Amino acid sequence: MFLEFAKGLSITFKHLLPGHSTTVQYPKVKLQMSDRFRGLHRLVPSQDREKCVACYLCPTVCPAKCITVESAENEKGEKYPKIYTIDLLRCIFCGYCVEACPVEAIEMTGAYELADYNRDDFQFTKQRLLK
Amino acid sequence: MVNLTIDGKQITVSKTATIYEAAKEAGIHIPVLCYAKKLLPYGACRVCLVEIEQMKGRLIPSCTTPVSEGMVVTTTSDEIKNVRKTVMEFLLVNHVLDCPVCDKGGECDLQDLAYEFESISNRFEGEKFDLPTDEVNPLIERNMNRCVLCGKCVRVCDEIVGYGSYSFINRGFETKIATAYDRGLNCEFCGQCLSMCPVGALLPRPFKFKARPWQLKQVDSVCGYCGNGCTVTLGVIGDKLETIRFNDEIGVNDGNLCIRGRFGYSYVNHKDRLTKPLVRKDGELVEADWDEALQVAADGLAKAQKGQGAGILSGARLTNEELFMLKQLAKTLGTENLDHSGGECYKGVTEGLKETLGVAASTATFPQIEKADVLLTIRSDFYETHPVVGMVINQAIRRNDAQLFVVADKRGKLNKLPGAKTLLSKPGLELDVLNAMAKVLFDEDLAKTEGVEGIEELKAALADFSPAQVAERTGVDAEILQTAARQLAGAGNAAILLAYGLPYQGLNKELATAVANLALLAGIPGREGSGLYLCGEKANSQGAIDLGILPHGNGLGAQAMLAAAAEGKLDALYIVAEDPLSSYPDRDKIAKSLQSVPFLVVQDLFLSPTAQQADVVLPAVTFAEKDGTFTNAERRIQRVRRGIPSPGEAKVDGTIFALLAGKLGNSLSFTGPAAIFAEIGKETPAYAEFNFNEIGPQGVIWGGETLQPTNRKLVVVSGGAAVDGDFQLVTGSALYHSGTVSTKAKGPMAVLGEAYVEFGREDAKKLEIVDGDLVKVAGNGVELKLKAKVDSRLPKGVLFAPYHFAEAQVNRLYKGEAVIAVKVSK
Repeated sequence: MFLEFAKGLSITFKHLLPGHSTTVQYPKVKLQMSDRFRGLHRLVPSQDREKCVACYLCPTVCPAKCITVESAENEKGEKYPKIYTIDLLRCIFCGYCVEACPVEAIEMTGAYELADYNRDDFQFTKQRLLK
Repeated sequence: MVNLTIDGKQITVSKTATIYEAAKEAGIHIPVLCYAKKLLPYGACRVCLVEIEQMKGRLIPSCTTPVSEGMVVTTTSDEIKNVRKTVMEFLLVNHVLDCPVCDKGGECDLQDLAYEFESISNRFEGEKFDLPTDEVNPLIERNMNRCVLCGKCVRVCDEIVGYGSYSFINRGFETKIATAYDRGLNCEFCGQCLSMCPVGALLPRPFKFKARPWQLKQVDSVCGYCGNGCTVTLGVIGDKLETIRFNDEIGVNDGNLCIRGRFGYSYVNHKDRLTKPLVRKDGELVEADWDEALQVAADGLAKAQKGQGAGILSGARLTNEELFMLKQLAKTLGTENLDHSGGECYKGVTEGLKETLGVAASTATFPQIEKADVLLTIRSDFYETHPVVGMVINQAIRRNDAQLFVVADKRGKLNKLPGAKTLLSKPGLELDVLNAMAKVLFDEDLAKTEGVEGIEELKAALADFSPAQVAERTGVDAEILQTAARQLAGAGNAAILLAYGLPYQGLNKELATAVANLALLAGIPGREGSGLYLCGEKANSQGAIDLGILPHGNGLGAQAMLAAAAEGKLDALYIVAEDPLSSYPDRDKIAKSLQSVPFLVVQDLFLSPTAQQADVVLPAVTFAEKDGTFTNAERRIQRVRRGIPSPGEAKVDGTIFALLAGKLGNSLSFTGPAAIFAEIGKETPAYAEFNFNEIGPQGVIWGGETLQPTNRKLVVVSGGAAVDGDFQLVTGSALYHSGTVSTKAKGPMAVLGEAYVEFGREDAKKLEIVDGDLVKVAGNGVELKLKAKVDSRLPKGVLFAPYHFAEAQVNRLYKGEAVIAVKVSK
């Protein structure tokens, strides 16, 4: 019986050794997020513009109605989003926008440190999303 | 009737139906791409293939195959699904997949079919087209890379519009839809093709990249331009009217619209719209609040009424409910001086028809035109004023082999329709032609004289109107004239059409009387299937007549009011929804009237030239911003619905009338248009049988499909008088515009942006004038400089100038006569 106790406690003690802790010393230490993590959105740029063609599928599919798109025509006659804003306070990070996008113009990054002081700062405009 | 079985369901349909139509009637869905209800069967896409027991071995296109007795049809089986999926693969071989940037996405038939058949891959490979898009014209974008060659645009332009812009060119994989010589599209821009296109090959440019169809709020209403009363569906995003959608499910127009209806909406969003009341202080119009403006207006009108009197002049684009309120306001004010639309132009209806037939409206409805065997239109301009009725005429000709006769002083679209015969007369002499036709009926004993009064008088008066004499006077071919008269009298169903409006004031009453005489002699009014149509230029011209926005008792009419004002015998004028200075005949006289009248109130959308003269300007709203009813030229009462809020502080005309009446001591309080409509019924018995809330998508017709005349009396009309001079100018409506308000709309202005004077080729050659030259046109003591336009429509010596453009001041030349003698110099 003692042997069983020792076996069990050895696992416990092993975890007490340095390097075996699951606690991360945030914010000094940060976790590496999985590629599939759904953090802050990013608009993907192409050579001279955003990849987004303002097809309105993401605002349509968005269950939280947090995406605002307004399309327009640029000098080349292409359709582009004049306005693309995500209201992060409403976003539920479901990732449907990424799934709906026909041109892979929006993706979700690993960024999760999104706290801020002003409500306005949660409005992610096209410029901010393209960074 | 034919009995058949579709998917095990026993169905009985008419023997002219196709399998597709039979299935649709039975509620069985068959996918289609190239089928359209209003077009003839074509069978281009092969998506609607079905299996027929009696024709086993191959699949049959259901949209082109007529039903037959005992047919057993299967619409879905694994084989059929496979074949349809293969057809989809063929269609998608060279179709570019740019759905994300294609504005059709969301309402694209091809997209829907691809979804239905789960077409996610393609076994066939082909080169995608890379053709340049046609963006030459400002309204319709053609991207032939997206075309699936269903031919709907080709067919609608030919079968319905009768213009024939498109055709298939090349062969095999290279086949495409092209315009003549594959140049850019240059047509009448009615946009029927883009309403028909099942894919994104034809799209409206003003709406390009604005929104997805599912984001639009759609409101069914009635077009605010002409008296045809087409159903339009307003496409609203937020608070803005962004597009006009087509709708072939409801309404009187089968989804057909003209350039004004489809592209002329943008005046609603114009930045120059009045948003605040203006009051003149120290000679300047300054912004004021509503209470102040209304008080000033009410005080001024009341004071004038105590003096020499006040007059009210209304437009014909107000709803019936508003016109009723206006009438009550006039009563409150105590004035009998009430009139609309220039006062003269509708006299053909209120006097011409009233004296002869005893009714003041068209005697039949538009759908009956399509079934007519013989059609007679007076003036080729009928197409310009009422393009969608023009399309119905075209269908009567193409579908039912109707014979069209056009009595006109110039050629136009109508004259080019298949088999159309033109009775081309000198301007101002159309009356003689009509009289001569009446005489032919008498002489050849074709006249239907039963129950008709005044036969002997008319017979005597027509002594000088033998076809030969009239042919000599007017230049009309005597033989065609006789044929026209004979056919009109002998036709099973016949229709006579005449438009009236501000630019057609001259001889209006006489023309209406002459056509009414002719119609009576041909037995047209009151006969099932036949009709005499007098169509108003404005959306609610008929409503204004029905509601009696006319001078009563000793009241002055519009022209009399303006004349009295000019002489200083009228103390105030209240002008609603009209811009007399820009559109009424004899601008100089009107300018004098507006200057002389001590107090002027103008209620309008824009600070028009008339409004600039006013003491008080009240901002009103457009058709898209109000609720109510319009009565169209066939007596159909239809609902107008509010799609967007009014800009700034602008108020609905009806509300303004109520507030103004309140200031005058009689608050006209009604709970809404429904209550007012009920009230209208008390004064206008024809409207009493209808309930506002029960007016359906097809509207309701007062007086029934065929209106019975209350008397049949021939009235003698003398002939017209030709004017001397080398050149004779006629005014009228241009196809792309209606009234003056369309000059504030981007669509019509992009196609026709400025005034012009049109020359026939012969005259232009003689005068050495080319398109775009500035010419001087002098007549009636006035000289105008106008841009020349050369076309082949006009006979020698005839000039044409549209009246829509205020800056051109064509109405200084035009003083209300049918034709003006002018001199032309470069």
